[in-house]
Amino acid sequence: MLNDVTFGQYYPTQSYVHRLDPRVKILALIAFIVMIFVADNFYSTAFCLVLLLLAIAFARVPFGRVLRSVKAIIFIIILTSVIQLFFHGGERVLVDQRVTDWWTIRICLEGVLYTIFLVLRLFLLVMASSVLTLTTTPVELADGIESLLKPLKYIKFPVHELALIMSIALRFIPTLIDETNRIISAQKARGADFDTGGPIARIKSVIPVMIPLLISAFRRAEELGDAMDARCYSGSKNRTKYKKLTLGWRDAVFALFVALLIAGVVLLNIYCLQIYAPFNAYVRV
Amino acid sequence: MDQTAPQNIVDLQGVKFAYAGQQGYALNGVTLSVKRGEFLSVIGHNGSGKSTLARLVNGLLQADEGTITVMGLNVSDPANTAEVRRHVGIVFQNPDNQMVASIVEDDIAFGPENVGIPREEIGRRIDWAIKAVGMEKYRRSSPAHLSGGQKQRVAVAGVLAVKPEVLILDESTAMLDPRGRREVTEVVRKLNKEEGITVILITHFMEEALMADRTIVLNRGEIAMQGAPDEIFKRGEGLETYNLSLPRIGVICKNLRSFGMDIPDLLSPAPLAEKIVENYNSKGIYAGESSSFTPVKIDSAHEWDIDIKNLAYTYSAKSPFASRALKGINLHIDDGEFFGIIGHTGSGKSTLIQHLNALIKLPQAQKRLRAKKPKKGRPTPVLPSLTVGGFDLTNRKCDFKALRASVGMVFQYPEYQLFAETVFADVAFGLKNFNRKLTREEVEEAVKSSITEVGLDYEEIKDKSPFDLSGGQKRRVAIAGVIVTRPHILVLDEPAAGLDPKGKKEIMELLHKLHREWCKTVIIVSHDMDEVAENCTGCAVISEGEVFAADVPARLFDRADELYALGLDIPVTFKIASLLKRDGFTVHCGGTVEDFSQKAAEIFSGEPSNRDPSPQTFADIADVKGEEGGKEDGNA
Repeated sequence: MLNDVTFGQYYPTQSYVHRLDPRVKILALIAFIVMIFVADNFYSTAFCLVLLLLAIAFARVPFGRVLRSVKAIIFIIILTSVIQLFFHGGERVLVDQRVTDWWTIRICLEGVLYTIFLVLRLFLLVMASSVLTLTTTPVELADGIESLLKPLKYIKFPVHELALIMSIALRFIPTLIDETNRIISAQKARGADFDTGGPIARIKSVIPVMIPLLISAFRRAEELGDAMDARCYSGSKNRTKYKKLTLGWRDAVFALFVALLIAGVVLLNIYCLQIYAPFNAYVRV
Repeated sequence: MDQTAPQNIVDLQGVKFAYAGQQGYALNGVTLSVKRGEFLSVIGHNGSGKSTLARLVNGLLQADEGTITVMGLNVSDPANTAEVRRHVGIVFQNPDNQMVASIVEDDIAFGPENVGIPREEIGRRIDWAIKAVGMEKYRRSSPAHLSGGQKQRVAVAGVLAVKPEVLILDESTAMLDPRGRREVTEVVRKLNKEEGITVILITHFMEEALMADRTIVLNRGEIAMQGAPDEIFKRGEGLETYNLSLPRIGVICKNLRSFGMDIPDLLSPAPLAEKIVENYNSKGIYAGESSSFTPVKIDSAHEWDIDIKNLAYTYSAKSPFASRALKGINLHIDDGEFFGIIGHTGSGKSTLIQHLNALIKLPQAQKRLRAKKPKKGRPTPVLPSLTVGGFDLTNRKCDFKALRASVGMVFQYPEYQLFAETVFADVAFGLKNFNRKLTREEVEEAVKSSITEVGLDYEEIKDKSPFDLSGGQKRRVAIAGVIVTRPHILVLDEPAAGLDPKGKKEIMELLHKLHREWCKTVIIVSHDMDEVAENCTGCAVISEGEVFAADVPARLFDRADELYALGLDIPVTFKIASLLKRDGFTVHCGGTVEDFSQKAAEIFSGEPSNRDPSPQTFADIADVKGEEGGKEDGNA
């Protein structure tokens, strides 16, 4: 059963991270992603990981939920790591096995390290993004994006229109999901079969759902247009905005947290070879 | 354009309007003035031009001929459009399709934002508007979590926040259940009385029209009648020629008069009961209780009985959003009944009927049943059981396809699920799904008979696109698409929703015809108590996921106080009967208006009136039913 509230990933609970201003969270995520790629050694990457775990703890979101988000790109992770493992060149050869006349398996230490590093980066990237979507409702996210895009107005970018499109889309997703369920039930009651048959039969079986859904979406769009007209909508001209995002002490504290992240990564990048010499061979990639 | 008398806030002079590509005028020479602070109701059949009127006044449409002025502003002048819309707010029919934001307060802010109100003032307006509709508690909620009535109240607040002088409600209550309707009409009445907002209420619920100071009857784009609502309804005969109908209570008054009682036309139950008592006092004959009502016997082989035990169901179980829809339903529906299931939106009735043809399968019948071991110290969970005729729905190997062919299900607004290129293909869809081996001739035969059955002309309609049909025709085609398999049991969710009185009457007639001729059991889900009382042989009240009561309507509605306590209503006939009972007169009412009138006359005359005392057959009541009714507590 598709349910009206479960779209998106939002995990409803009260926490420090949930209450942050969405703009701060979006900017923090961008900063985090940049830092993951700035971090060029295991020390600084581990530091990113620690801070991310801290953020997850403060968000009071089950760790499993965060980890689950990686599932979506697991195939990409496996594929790239296999390619890196086998084709990353290097000097410290670990395996050198001749398989056939034209193919030799050659795995280098550099390749192994780089693969681990890459997987770690991808995990951090996806998990950090999912912390944002788990702790921020789609509506807050849209408000945050709108607010951050506001400067683009001066280069004639249609910020208001984009924001309205996002808002309406979010508003109608649950409605259309409900509608889809209803149509599926109705066609099932008329003997439609969505679960068996070959690929062509399955594609065909979607028609009795898609057509009524499209027609209904158009009808809704038309009615919504009328309703917006009747409510005096006339584009972004002379329009005021009621909702104002405001920054609070939480956001200030979080900004310090992000500053700590940036400082930590930069310092660890510079001094990574001076921390513990025996590791130096493995730290950088 | 400025010579309009100041008290006329809206003025129409000889307004004509035709939709592009359609023959004839949707509005044909309408002249109408609405005074400041007036409460005007507009009634009319589907397609009478009511909604066109609303759109013209607001400037969403432009009149072809004639002039419309709002507060002295000519609506057809594009320079005035923006200002006119600030003065005239419209609330439309579908609450879902007029909200732009996912949070209530953001949505209410949309209008004020559009007209450039400063931020602080918008805040004050939201405070005021949300209070005016009584939704303060839901300020930060998402519309997706609100009931229909609540959503519509938010829509009203969204319009109010622009501070209009005129509020138009364009069938804003048509898609709501009685409770939601009451919520919205109460709010509107209050706004009119307390805030002095001019209200134009467009509706086809006759009882709603009664709230107004003045009523206009539109027929084919022309004003057919106008005047105070009670005057309009007293001229009852006229209404029927305009595809409308008298409120049920009006019919009762008329009937009682024909039995020789001195009853004027009254519009609410309390004064009518008083009048009946007065009649007794003046004549002084009380002949004792009326003859009791004998429920219609259903003789059947019990071949297609439905038996439900301990049915429970939870949506999104094991998630933070879990909601228990059913909490243990026990219900038995006999083969041959015309059964009514009553309950509020959200009471679980839709979930219940979806179990009947295994759209929702019982846990035992699902593919992956995780055998739950009962935890120590906890009672073993009771598994539900459900049989429909010979089908045991707890059995995983039950032939669900055959079951669905035998239990036809018509969902709410079934016209929205039409999809095929032609009516023929759409009706044949179900048939071909259930039986792929049919020859072309057999399919054609079945489709033809089912289209004819729903009262449409097969030859004329079969090659048309279902999307080119009128609303009523679409619904009939959708029903044809379900009955084409000749199901033994037909389940319909709100079959008459959104139709005008005539359309409702026709749909109920159609169902009775099917029931008489071949469809063994008909089950309708309804929140219209009068509809259930008049049509059903048995009914069940579902409340909060449980069966509150299941009985014949005559006995069920006798428990008026308990039903009120659930927030449900009772049919108008039972309302009057219970008022009479308080005064010591017992009328055993069977539910229909006819039956009630006869019984009420009987207790004073002492002899059963010479007509058949229990007109339970549909033919007898066909001419008095059709409109929604019996919820005008405000008048009582």
